[in-house]
This record gives sequence, C-alpha cells and structure tokens, in this order.
Amino acid sequence: MLQTFDVFPACPRMFPVQSSKLKPRGYRVLPHVFAAHRYRSRRWSRGVVVVVVVVRPVPAAAMLKSFARAMNVAARVSNRATAARAPRAAEPLARSASCGPFTRSVWMLCHSGSHGGRPRLIPSKSLLPSASCGCGGLHTDGDKAFTEFLSDEIKEEKKIQKSKTLPKMSGGWELQLNGAEAKLIRSVSGEKVTVTFNINNSIPPNMEEEEAEQGQKAEDSEPEIVSTPNFVIEVVKQGTKNSLVFDCHFPEDEIGHSEGEEESDIFAIREVSFQPDGEADWHETSYTLNTDSLDWALYDHLMDFLADRGIDNAFADELMELSTALEHQEYIKFLEDLSSFIKCH
Amino acid sequence: MGVVLRNLQHVVPLRRARLRKNVEIVRHILGIQKFDMSIICVDNPKMQRINNIYRKKNMATDVLSFPFYEDLRPGKLPCAVHRDEYNLGDIFLGVEYVMQQCKETSCDFHGTLTVVLAHGICHLLGYRHETEEEWDEMFQRENYILSEFNKLTGSHLEPLTKRCTRQVT
Repeated sequence: MLQTFDVFPACPRMFPVQSSKLKPRGYRVLPHVFAAHRYRSRRWSRGVVVVVVVVRPVPAAAMLKSFARAMNVAARVSNRATAARAPRAAEPLARSASCGPFTRSVWMLCHSGSHGGRPRLIPSKSLLPSASCGCGGLHTDGDKAFTEFLSDEIKEEKKIQKSKTLPKMSGGWELQLNGAEAKLIRSVSGEKVTVTFNINNSIPPNMEEEEAEQGQKAEDSEPEIVSTPNFVIEVVKQGTKNSLVFDCHFPEDEIGHSEGEEESDIFAIREVSFQPDGEADWHETSYTLNTDSLDWALYDHLMDFLADRGIDNAFADELMELSTALEHQEYIKFLEDLSSFIKCH
Repeated sequence: MGVVLRNLQHVVPLRRARLRKNVEIVRHILGIQKFDMSIICVDNPKMQRINNIYRKKNMATDVLSFPFYEDLRPGKLPCAVHRDEYNLGDIFLGVEYVMQQCKETSCDFHGTLTVVLAHGICHLLGYRHETEEEWDEMFQRENYILSEFNKLTGSHLEPLTKRCTRQVT
C-alpha cells in the first residue's frame, strides 16, 4: 500500500526549486549545490600563482645586461639588508651569503672573483642569504622554511587521506592510469566502453567561498574537497569504424547553496559525436550534437543508452570518489616531488 | 514548454525515456501540454528532508507537489498570459520510496510511478484530498486519467486515491 499523503500548501515563492528556475538542460548552470557542502579548502592554499624558475646558460650580452640590472638591485638590497638582517650563525660552506635571490648566471659572476683573478663585484660580506651543500643548486633560508612547511603539509595530507589504495569501481571496470589521466574500460557483449577523465582542474573553484560561508565551525571538521572532472565516454561496437563519443560533466548550479536547492542531474551529457575509432584527437570536422538545444526525449534516450552500459548516477558517484582519491594521491605525490626538488638531490 | 526531468538520486535505476513518455501521455489526456512542469526524482533521505521542511512530517513519502498556482479551482486550467506563467509547478518523486512499496506489493515500478505522477499532477491542478468531497473529486479525476491511460497503453493502472485511506492528513 502506498502511504496516504496530501499536497503541501502551495508556496512557490518559499520553495527554492520551481519549474521556471529549473533550466532546460543545456543552460550552463554554475556551482552545483550537490557538492556544495563537500568542498573544503586545502590546508595549503592552492593558489593560481605560477612561478617558473628556469636555470639555463645566458648569452653573454644578455648576461651583461641582466648583470647590470642585478647589480643595481643588489646594491639596493644589500644596503637595506645590511641593517635589517642578522648575520647567520653558521654557513654550510665557505661561500658567504652573497648571491641569494639571483639566478644562476648572476651567481656565477659573483663567484668569479673567488675562483679567478677577477675582482669581486659584490663584496663577500654583503648579506645575500644563501646556503649551499655543494650540490650546485641554490639553497636559501626560504627554501629551508619551504621544505619544513611542505613536510608538515605532507604529514597532514597523509593523515586525512582515506586510503592509500584507490577505490574500486563496481561493475568490472578496469582502471588504467597515466599521470593525471585515468581510463576506465569495460567490455560487454562485443562493445567496448571507455571512460576517460583528467584530474587536473577538476576541483570546483568555489572552495574559498564555501569556507567563508561555513565560517569558523569548519575549523575542526573541514569540508571535503571533491573532484568532479569532465569525462568522455567512448562506445565502440565491433565492426564499426567510428566510436560514439559522449562529452559529459558534473553540472554546477549557479543559484544558492542552501538546503534543498540542488537542481541539476548528478552528471549531464554536453556533446555527442562520432569519432574515428582509435584516434586520440577529437575531430572537429565530425558533426557534434550539442545538448543545449536538444529535444528532451532524445536526451533521455541517450541517458538511458549510457545507463544500459553501466554509466548512471551510481557510476557517476563512484567516478567522483575515484577521481577525488586519485587527485588527493597525486597532490601528495606532487608535494613530495616539490619537497625533493627544493631539497638537495 | 515541456517537462523538465531531473534525477538527483542513484539508488534506483531510472528509465528516463519511459518516465517522460508516460508523463507526456498524462499531459495529453489532461490537455496541459502547453504548460511547463518539473519532475525531480529523489531518494528517501531527500524526500524526508523536504517533507519535514514543508509539511513538518519527518518521514519519506512517495510524492510531494508544489503548485505554481496556489488557489487553482480543481479542474480549471490557469489563465496564463505571459510565457513564464505557463508553469504548473514541481513534483518531487520519491522514487526510492515508490520502489520499496513496489517490492512489497509486487507492483510494476514504472506503472506505479505513473499512478503517483498522475496524483501529483492533479495536485498541481488544484485538486486536494483534505475533505471527503475533495477526496471524491480527486479520485474521479485520477480515475479518468488512468482509464484513458490504460486505453492508450494497455495498462491496468488504478488511482492512488483508491489505495489511500480517507483519513485526512
């Protein structure tokens, strides 16, 4: 027997989800409430500032130019630093702190005096902090602090790592990993289904916002980071040259994050096309069906087609878990690599 | 104009195309094709939360309707003027709850979903079952919808109100 029930008094304004708000599929909806309470910010902020340090031989002319510039800077720095910095108690090597924040080319110039007959360009007692262990790399106080910081972060991240092994997908999917990219492969009755995703940039960018909303209560229980990567499904049938390819994603809702406001499917198809089987690159010449303006009935059939091949909401949830675990694993590995890079080899 | 279908749960495998087709038949029977509505499929915890928030009943249920028009006279279609007003409202379908009921009573899941949906749509159209008169009126409408549905599809569906108690909730 179905339970007795009655209708809730109509209150369209009170209730957050209305048909008018429920956008037809294809409207690009932004931050998804679904994952809203699952995000947390990393203990180590993963900012977007990218610093690339390139150490390479510099042509003589360029070196002179940069050297002249460096000299000016160094003079300013050393003047200020002399007063500001206390001398280090012990330097690992005889090379005194004369070539701190400069690139290797400047470092060589600075040192030429000690090796050859050329006079020192910067007095050895100028306070450019450095330390070297003889590995040929530059070590600074900042590097040391950075390494210590990373060591703590790695410990913390390992503490919150749920498992060192990746969760298994149910349904007999075989997992293949290639760095940040993962493939799930399954063959059923002559059909091969491959799901490919990449964990890079797979964490929604609204973590900070979430943290602000949650305020200090999150201090003890940090919200979890959830990786929601776009993923591509390829269905290959025996004896066909083309595979049917679905470009899918985890939609994010643009409206509020409070209780009951989620309104998107767990995952959605963005595009569908045929692509030559076995080719890695996406052929832009292939007709691509965009689901933005697609007939809803056709869309439902496409979703049912995927569900018949084991790709449904339950799969999407497991994919999210797998991607989250993989992302976290790679993140820890990156921190370890970073720490090794900064330390001596 | 159409039915926005959302599946927010992963407990019950859902045939979206079949669900949509059945809803379209019911819409056709009622002559409400030009009105939008949304159907959101959710699991028990979600249904329980919504039921608790809006009805103060802390339990899962099978269907909750949220009519766009609050004071619609049963059976009268809204007089919509602007495009945005061609909207009947939202129906939350407790698909997990319905599935459990179907297992207990050995009923067909998608058939039962159609019955539950017909009930929910009647609510969007102003029908209620808070008094005996309202209950009778709603039963008649559901009976009509499902008998027409049965004729078109060869099904044997019965109104939900028939199975419900007359107790006013």
